[in-house]
Amino acid sequence: MKKLINHPDEVVSDMLQGFVSANPQLEYFKEVEVIAKKIKEKKVGLVSGGGSGHEPAHAGYVGKGMLDAAVAGNVFASPSPDRIIKGIEEAHMGEGVLLIIKNYSGDIMNFGMAKDLAELDGIEVDYVVVKDDVAVKDSTYSTGRRGVAGTVLVHKIAGAKADEGASLKEVKRAAEKAIQNVRTMGMAMSSCIIPSVGQPGFELGEYEIEIGMGIHGEPGVEKTTIKSAKDIAQSLCNKILEDYDYSNSEVAVLVNGLGSTPLMELYILNYEVAKLLKEKNITIHRTFVGNYMTSLEMSGCSISLLKLDDELKGLLDAPCQTPALTIT
Amino acid sequence: MAVKITVKDYMTYIELVTQKIQENKVYISELDAITGDGDHWANMNMGFGKLVENKTLLEGMTFNEMFKKIGQLIMSTVGGSSGVLYGSAYLRASKVIGENQVIDLELLSQILEAKLVAIMERGNAKPGFKTMIDALHPAVLNLQNALKEEKSDYDALQELKIGAIEGMNQTRDMEAVKGRACYQANKGVGHLDPGAVTMCYQLEVLVDFLCSRM
Repeated sequence: MKKLINHPDEVVSDMLQGFVSANPQLEYFKEVEVIAKKIKEKKVGLVSGGGSGHEPAHAGYVGKGMLDAAVAGNVFASPSPDRIIKGIEEAHMGEGVLLIIKNYSGDIMNFGMAKDLAELDGIEVDYVVVKDDVAVKDSTYSTGRRGVAGTVLVHKIAGAKADEGASLKEVKRAAEKAIQNVRTMGMAMSSCIIPSVGQPGFELGEYEIEIGMGIHGEPGVEKTTIKSAKDIAQSLCNKILEDYDYSNSEVAVLVNGLGSTPLMELYILNYEVAKLLKEKNITIHRTFVGNYMTSLEMSGCSISLLKLDDELKGLLDAPCQTPALTIT
Repeated sequence: MAVKITVKDYMTYIELVTQKIQENKVYISELDAITGDGDHWANMNMGFGKLVENKTLLEGMTFNEMFKKIGQLIMSTVGGSSGVLYGSAYLRASKVIGENQVIDLELLSQILEAKLVAIMERGNAKPGFKTMIDALHPAVLNLQNALKEEKSDYDALQELKIGAIEGMNQTRDMEAVKGRACYQANKGVGHLDPGAVTMCYQLEVLVDFLCSRM
């Protein structure tokens, strides 16, 4: 394993200390691994988080117009309830707190327990669960669809709604509207190494790629050989368009890199996505290209489409200023 | 001889579990890499390591305080699904143990049942979902039956162990319903659930430790 770290056990706190020294407007709470805004506003608090390894998610989205606090777990492992409670306390300004959870068993349990405990302390807490990964069948019996890059767009929408001074109920409604309208599909070209494990979780051959792989290296829908950016764009977009009706709509596009895919390739992919959507008569309102929700050094990408109505468009365009996303 | 576990004994047991986990690094990591993301061993090792680090503190506590502290330490150190599940289990166990300072077999049975119920509730999971529950559930049932049949403590403990091992082995043919393994095309069929394996280790080590002193 060749990694720029000090010790596998220290990666999360070392990272967040480096993060906060680059972003002194934010505060870092050691031990509980929480990043929170220093300047508090009276509004509904927004908290997200999850395992580390997805940087800039989630700490990178703490700031004006998005999250109030982000809670980091160990690499690819949900943060524990005590950490999440600290995040809730930091975000709580008397108007209630909304948790934005990605749909994984561990996150659901830990955030669920934190919600129960925070409510015992008299804090009003509600939550939404993002499940945008169309590679997995939706299900109420099993864990079901994973939450992936579309989560960033949910942070943006919910953050803008909370900034308007909306109630917890209203912020939750807007977040759920975003969740209902966002779909993501990804692909991986290489594996990643969890520092404490020291070796790749899976292997892909030199010309092999996996369509639909999850952001922790969970299996996708199909292993195939590397194709052109045009073919990849088509394959990922088609899977999304089969899942949800985007016809004649306006959308936000998020072309996301998984960690070690050059921006050059992400822009090439975006060029293909833009052409493809135009052919299908889908209007692009705004595009994001970059590493928004990564998977350590995995190479690959995901494409997210958020279908917009007037409300979502307004919320998406509202200004925000965070380390990883600024809209002016 | 009858089972009597003191706080000090329990800490010895925790050290033995830690050792068992350490010895199986490669096996557990590889098993988890097949169906999960390969970090189960590292997380469990970190959690139990933390308990051993806090040995002096834990040994100075009552059982009630000790279980609460173990729950909090595991929850905050292990993280992920295992952390919150073992954390919930120990917090529930601390309620059941109350003021008792010695655990006999009857109380052990109640503690294990409380842990099982806590894990099932927090995980919203049942036996057969290919999880740690599948090792614990049959172990608890076997122990309860043995107690009903008034078997000797030694025999009852052996029944507990058999339940845990059989339950763990049955996860090989199960389809995962919760957790990362459920994303596999074959739902992890053909592989043991790593969570069930580490749960089984804890029960096996408990039985071997208690029986070795009889």
